[in-house]
Amino acid sequence: MDAILLAAQLVFQLDVLVTIVLAALFGLFVGSVPGLTATMATALLVPITFFMSPVAAIGAIVTCSAMAIFAGDIPGTLLRIPGTPASAAYTDEAYAMTRKGQGELALGANLLFSALGGLFGTAVLIVAAPSLAEVALQFSSFEYFWLACLGLTCATVVGSGSTIKGLVSLMIGLLVATIGLNNPAGVPRFTFGNVDLMGGIDFIAAMIGLFAVSEIFRYVLGMSADTSNVQAPAGNLFTGWGRLFKQYWRQSLRGNVLGTAIGALPGAGADIAAWVSYAVSKRFSKTPEKFGTGHVEGIIESTSSNNAALGGAWVPALVFGIPGDSITAIVIGVLYLKGMNPGPTIFINNPQDIYAVFLIFILANIFMVPAGWAAIKSARLLMRVPRNVLMPTILLFCIVGSFAINNSAFGISVMLAFGLLGFIMEENGFPIAPTILGIVLGPLLEENFVTSMIKSDGSFLGFFERPLAAGLGIITLAIWIVPLALYFWRRSRG
Amino acid sequence: MRINDAILGAVLLAFSLAVGVYARTFPAIPGQEYGASVFPTWISIALGLCSVVLIAGGMRQWAETGAVSLAPWARSGHHLRTLAITIALVIFYILASTPLGFIPTAFIALVILFGVLGVKPLQIPVLAAGITMAVHYGFYSLLRVPLPWGVLTPWAW
Repeated sequence: MDAILLAAQLVFQLDVLVTIVLAALFGLFVGSVPGLTATMATALLVPITFFMSPVAAIGAIVTCSAMAIFAGDIPGTLLRIPGTPASAAYTDEAYAMTRKGQGELALGANLLFSALGGLFGTAVLIVAAPSLAEVALQFSSFEYFWLACLGLTCATVVGSGSTIKGLVSLMIGLLVATIGLNNPAGVPRFTFGNVDLMGGIDFIAAMIGLFAVSEIFRYVLGMSADTSNVQAPAGNLFTGWGRLFKQYWRQSLRGNVLGTAIGALPGAGADIAAWVSYAVSKRFSKTPEKFGTGHVEGIIESTSSNNAALGGAWVPALVFGIPGDSITAIVIGVLYLKGMNPGPTIFINNPQDIYAVFLIFILANIFMVPAGWAAIKSARLLMRVPRNVLMPTILLFCIVGSFAINNSAFGISVMLAFGLLGFIMEENGFPIAPTILGIVLGPLLEENFVTSMIKSDGSFLGFFERPLAAGLGIITLAIWIVPLALYFWRRSRG
Repeated sequence: MRINDAILGAVLLAFSLAVGVYARTFPAIPGQEYGASVFPTWISIALGLCSVVLIAGGMRQWAETGAVSLAPWARSGHHLRTLAITIALVIFYILASTPLGFIPTAFIALVILFGVLGVKPLQIPVLAAGITMAVHYGFYSLLRVPLPWGVLTPWAW
């Protein structure tokens, strides 16, 4: 109980609350401008969070990402251009509703069920994380090695697109993580005598490059959509909320459960949750023929799902330090910077920090309703922001943010290199998220592997000797082997 | 611009071989079997295997797609020039910000980029100056990032 009071004291401070409000506005803005994603919002926020107290920093990221995921629905509904990838699953459906003159209903449903989904994910986080942390206390390097493997495996297998390209992306990330002095042997690797490279590649600069700078390159090449002819919805957004909830609470609940579960899977985040939930909703609907014609049912289920996934993704991030998606990958980096090292011990040593995170999650999802309402009302204004002024400004932000990490121009070079890399990768169908997970999890994987090998005297059997490790190991190996086996089995049958 | 997977695979294969060979030069720790070279070597092997699969897949599609399928922007001189200028401006910032200082460098870069992207000429200097000073105030004054002053050092605040 003391810890909860302490947490409330940490959160209910003027500077923290002001930060949260500002981060919410920033998240709404970035989410509702097509081409600027929730991940990009988070990446741009990180250099600023350096200068905040830990709770304010985490609060800013939680609020900003939740708002951006919701706001992505606004241009999706009004213009058929998803504001963030997490909205892409139901953009066509929502736009069909706008054309039928039901834009208010679609946006109102998005707002209500986004907030409810976010609260559900938070509830699961509050219940599941501490009990999982007790299990995690018994983990040794063997279990952490397998967990990191499991996270990386999910990142490549679950993501959309080609698995082999996901693997290449992952290997690039792991390789980037080996650069520098920071390895168990303390040997400089791939530094070519360069002092800057000794410290390794800073993952925040890499992130800003991969997610923000690559997007700017796409913009200057004329690959962004035109958003100038938008009409803001005029009607009352809150009409019909009671009816919607009564009619569709089952879909909402199913979306919440599935979204939280997918979010908690390491490597799979809000966008995948939305796609899966939309498909599930159609599969179990009594009126599947209405899907695609502007039917609110699928929108409710998937918008519930993508916001619930955000809370779910924090479960493995806080308990094991294994990111659930690319946003929590950034969060883990920030937690380390702020001395709140994720892992089961934080639940025992600093429970007030954990409760503060929970409180912020609840606050952010409640604040989403008025802030989201304001964003929808000003949609016309938001989407008319001239992109040829906005994009250069974001580029300047990226440059200064990358500089601020170590106050050196080296960060800007890293940013530029990864911006080009991200652009080329996306152009050729390589997913970017596995690279980021590789950079974050690479050191953890190597350290736990080397420690484990020393403990077991160089015997691989050590990885299966403890029951927990054996269980995790078998799951991981099954994810690798079963699809391969199925593939060859199908081929052999012709 | 989509490059055929076989070409990308070949580049990645060469890269993974280079990484693998270079990793052999890392010093071993006496009495320790798993030193600094183990991880990079494994990664290079995995990357090499992936490249072989990519090459095989790309070869099968070669007849349909050819070596490179150009996106619309790749045929547009205007778009390519804009991309080149954007990249050049970041490099210009990296090189010039320390001697010249943040304010002049950012101002020049923004003016050029706004111009290329078609912002109205009269608005350009006003917007560039306003945004430069806003970013400077936010990061230098509020967040205390030591942005370089360069030639403006005598007037630094």
